[in-house]
Amino acid sequence: MTTERRQVESRNDVFVERTATKIWQEIENPQNPYLADSCVCHGYDLLELTQKRSFVEVFYLLFRSELPDTDEARLLEQLMIALINPGPRHPATRAAMTAAVGSTDREHILPIALSIYGGSHLGAGEVEPAMDWLRKQRKHDPGQLAHELIASSTPPEEGDWHIAPGFGSRFSGVDPMASKIANHLSGLPGKHETLSWGCAFASALNGHSLGWLAPAVAAAVFTDLGFSPRAGAGLFQLLGAPGLLAHGVELANKPVTAMPFVKDENYVIQYE
Amino acid sequence: MSSSMNNCSYQFWDERRGKIQSKKGGWIVGKGIFNHGYSMMDDLVGKVSYMQVVVLNATGRLPERPVADWLDAIHICLSWPDPRIWCNQIGALGGAMRASVVASTTAGVLAADAKSYGIKPLIHGVRFIQAALQDFKRGLSVDEIIRNECSKHRGKPHIMGYARPLAKGDERIVAMERVQQKLGLPVGEHLQLAGQIEQALLNNFDEGMNINGYMSAFLSDLGYTSEEVYRIFAVLVTSGVTACYVDTRDKIPDTFLPLRCADIEYSGTLARPVP
Repeated sequence: MTTERRQVESRNDVFVERTATKIWQEIENPQNPYLADSCVCHGYDLLELTQKRSFVEVFYLLFRSELPDTDEARLLEQLMIALINPGPRHPATRAAMTAAVGSTDREHILPIALSIYGGSHLGAGEVEPAMDWLRKQRKHDPGQLAHELIASSTPPEEGDWHIAPGFGSRFSGVDPMASKIANHLSGLPGKHETLSWGCAFASALNGHSLGWLAPAVAAAVFTDLGFSPRAGAGLFQLLGAPGLLAHGVELANKPVTAMPFVKDENYVIQYE
Repeated sequence: MSSSMNNCSYQFWDERRGKIQSKKGGWIVGKGIFNHGYSMMDDLVGKVSYMQVVVLNATGRLPERPVADWLDAIHICLSWPDPRIWCNQIGALGGAMRASVVASTTAGVLAADAKSYGIKPLIHGVRFIQAALQDFKRGLSVDEIIRNECSKHRGKPHIMGYARPLAKGDERIVAMERVQQKLGLPVGEHLQLAGQIEQALLNNFDEGMNINGYMSAFLSDLGYTSEEVYRIFAVLVTSGVTACYVDTRDKIPDTFLPLRCADIEYSGTLARPVP
């Protein structure tokens, strides 16, 4: 080891003096520069937005820097409704419920659930890879690609098979809700090239008990709406947050006995 | 395809419904608390260190006490109370905001689940040195190993475990070598190779090893995989984050680096009417 070379010297990296943002401007109060007199989102006054635009439109504006047209706003709003609740059986929702019934501080319920919802299996961690994959693959014939993937891939011995990010089996079958949501959204007015391609791809997989999963439905819509893949995970978390929180709050004043506790006879220790 | 997939069978899931099958252990009321085959109260409490149990839980293997003492020491090296460090700053912001110590500390720990610092670089550090040793044993020279790795980064010496961010040199390695020697822990073949790579990098790029490179090689010599290292060090930065939380929690709220409106540079679209 070269102990004599461990003299520590700064690299003198140059850091910016101020953080920059294109999203939000706070106009300072003349009497107190720490207070904002008004806020501007991509050039639009916040209070004017509250009077003239919907939540969904301003949500879109935040990430895309421009207001959506009617079709884009409708597509996003309907996706937000469709994904508003991962459901009480989803591991992230169960995390919210488990935390709440254990009398965890209320403000922790949502962050706990969202951390679990960030997972790469049926969670936000699957959305960015799905967006990247869809952007890369959508120029190929979906039926042909599905055939090639099935021919060249090996399913796991046990459990579900995600043949591509956001596409696969759920409890060994095709998830009907994910498929119905995707089909409904693809029928809305407007251009949904990625969503339509995904529907054709999922359809080609269906005979093999594979199909759409919720993260890819979100990924396809986000792609068609022009969101950056970097935003995909967080957007998916935001969309599912209301349901996660609602289920947690529902159990927040209940005793721990309001959820099952696995009986000793059903708890098996199996050392390898 | 397996037949279970073709048949859309859910028997696999039914077999697991309402049951927990643990390979780790558990509490059997009236019999005791068991952990990887050990009775926790009889075999572990008072007999092994906390860090030994941390490794047992993360890997399924109980390390020798000197290894756990080395891990204890390196945790001190890897988390210190400077709120300019990104994860620590999150703890400080939590204190300023009067978030709880648990929320702030876990938020800081979560922030360190990062590619550029914190925990994730360890995965790549371990993978690099383990692959490098395989290459070395296959006959590649140290210079060839470095050249191959640099070629992935347009010739720059971006090798995980070398060239510390923000500063050159790493005083923590000196301290940990002292600890290692005191504990009687040997220098294995990964660490030897890591030293040779460092010497070559110093000669060619004036860049040395950082603490990641040292610990990746040392832990590889002990037989840990990259995933096991990631799991052992899951809460690596916790103590420094807590310290930074406490510092701001004990001061007036919102006084940690307060910003005027103009302290954020707006570079977006100019004011326009809402259509």
